[in-house]
Amino acid sequence: MPDAALAEKTIELKILRYRPASDAEPAFGSFTVPYTDDMSVLQGLQTIKDTLDGTLSFRWSCRMAVCGSCGMMINGTPRLACNTFLRNLLPGPVTIEPLNNFPIERDLVVSVGDFVKKIESIYPYIIPREPKTIEEGPYLQTPAQLAAYESFSDCINCMLCYAACPQFGENPDFIGPGAMALLQRYNGDSRDGGRLKRIDAISGDNGVWSCTAVGICSDVCPKNVDPANAVNQNKTNSAFDFFLRFLRKEDAQ
Amino acid sequence: MSEKRPFTRPIASDWWAHPPYRAYTVRELSGVAVAVYGAVLFVGLVSLWRGPDSYGAFLRFLKSPVSILLNLVLLAAVLYHVVTWFQILPKTMPKLIVDGKQVPQARITTLVLRAVGFGAVCLVLLTIGFAR
Amino acid sequence: MSEAAGRAAPEKRSISPIFWLLFGAGGMLAAVFGPALILITDLLAPTGIGLPENFEDYSHALAFAKNPIGKLVVLAVISLFFWHGAERLYLTLKDMKARPLLVLKFGTYGVAAAVTLATFALLLSIGF
Repeated sequence: MPDAALAEKTIELKILRYRPASDAEPAFGSFTVPYTDDMSVLQGLQTIKDTLDGTLSFRWSCRMAVCGSCGMMINGTPRLACNTFLRNLLPGPVTIEPLNNFPIERDLVVSVGDFVKKIESIYPYIIPREPKTIEEGPYLQTPAQLAAYESFSDCINCMLCYAACPQFGENPDFIGPGAMALLQRYNGDSRDGGRLKRIDAISGDNGVWSCTAVGICSDVCPKNVDPANAVNQNKTNSAFDFFLRFLRKEDAQ
Repeated sequence: MSEKRPFTRPIASDWWAHPPYRAYTVRELSGVAVAVYGAVLFVGLVSLWRGPDSYGAFLRFLKSPVSILLNLVLLAAVLYHVVTWFQILPKTMPKLIVDGKQVPQARITTLVLRAVGFGAVCLVLLTIGFAR
Repeated sequence: MSEAAGRAAPEKRSISPIFWLLFGAGGMLAAVFGPALILITDLLAPTGIGLPENFEDYSHALAFAKNPIGKLVVLAVISLFFWHGAERLYLTLKDMKARPLLVLKFGTYGVAAAVTLATFALLLSIGF
C-alpha cells in the first residue's frame, strides 16, 4: 500500500521545444515535475533541466523579477517565470512557450537583437538641458519632477509588453512600448533637453503611430512602468509638433 | 556556435476576437457606433434639405419601433464609448502630479466621468425645461 | 555607443496626426454630448416622453439648421462623429486583416470627408 505521506505533488509542464539543428519547426514536449507550494515556474524549468532533460534552454538570472531575463508565455499570457508560481496554475498542465511576436532561437530563447537596437536608437541618456560643470554642483530635482517620469525608469527590458502588443506582432518595425517607456523616461526628466533629438523616433509610422491604444502592454508589465502612457502621451506630443514644428526655434537634430 | 535558424511563428489572424484583445475590439466598435448616430443625423439633414415631405418620412421612421430599438442599442454603445474613452484619456496625458505624487489614472477617470455625467443630465433636463 | 555613424536615416514623418486629432475631437465631443444627443433627438423627441411631440418637427428643425450657431453645431457633430468612427473602423478592419488598405482608407476616411463636404454644402444650401 503506497505511503500517502511520501506521495509527491506533481504538475505537468507542456513546453514548446525547438532545436534549429534538428527540428523543422517547434513542437510541444511534456514534462511532469514534482513541486512544492513555493516553487516558481522558473524553478520548475530548472528541475527539468537538472533532472529530466539537460537540453532545455531558457534565459534566467536574478530569480526575483529585476533582471528581465525570464519572460515567456505561461498559459498564453506573457509573464516572468520567476514571478509566476506553480501553486496558482493547478491542476495543470501548464503551457509554456517563448514570448510571442519574437523569432525563436531555441526552445524558450527568443531573438532580442532588434529590441536592443530600438533601445539604442532613442538616445537613452540624459542630454543636459543646461549643462553644468562639476564645480557648479549637482543637477537638482524635486520629488514632483521625479514623479513625472519615475515609473518609466523602472523598466527591466523584459519585453513582456512587446509579446502582449498585437500591433508589434503585425509590424515588427514598430518601436514598441518598452523603447517608448525608455524614451519618455528621458523626455520626461526635468534635467534632460534632448526632446528634439528623439522626435524622429516617435513621429514616423513605425513610431507612436503604429499604436492603437490596446493598452495590454501596461496590464502585463511586471514593474508597473505603464508603457501605454509613454506611447500615448507622445501621440499628443507628436501631433502638436506636426503642426507647430514650423514655429520651432531649434531644428530637430 | 551551433546552427542559428530563428523560427518566426505566424500571428493568429483572429487575435482580435480572443481575450484579452476582444475587449479592445468591442471598445473600437463602440466608436464606430458614434459614426452610426452621425449617419442618422446626416440622413435627417438630407431629408430636411429635401423638404417637409421627406423630413416627415424621416420623423415617422424615428418614431418606429425599429428606430427606437436601434437607438437604444446606439445609446448603450455610445455609453460604453464614454466610459472607455475616459479610461484611455489619462494615458494620453503626462502624469498628473499633485503634492509630489502621481494622481492614479483611475481617479482622473472617475472624476471626469462624474463631471461629464452630471453635465449630460443637466443638458437633458435643461432641454426638457426649455421645451415647455 | 555609436552616434550618427551607426544610425539609420530617420523615418519619414507620418501624417497620422491629422486623422488622430480629428478622431480625438470627435471622440471627446461624442463622450461629452453623445448620450445626451441620442436621448434627446432619437428617443425623447420621437416618443414624446419629456419633450413635446413637435420638438423636432419641420419648422423647428429648419429654424435650427438656418441659424448660424445651429449650422456650426450640426456640422461639428456630424463631421467629427464621422471622422471618429472612420479612424476606429479603419484600424479595426486593418486588425481584422481586411485589405487592400487603400480601399479601407477610401471607405472610412473618404466617406468621412465626403460626408463633411456634403453636410457643409447642404447647410449652405438651406440658407439663413
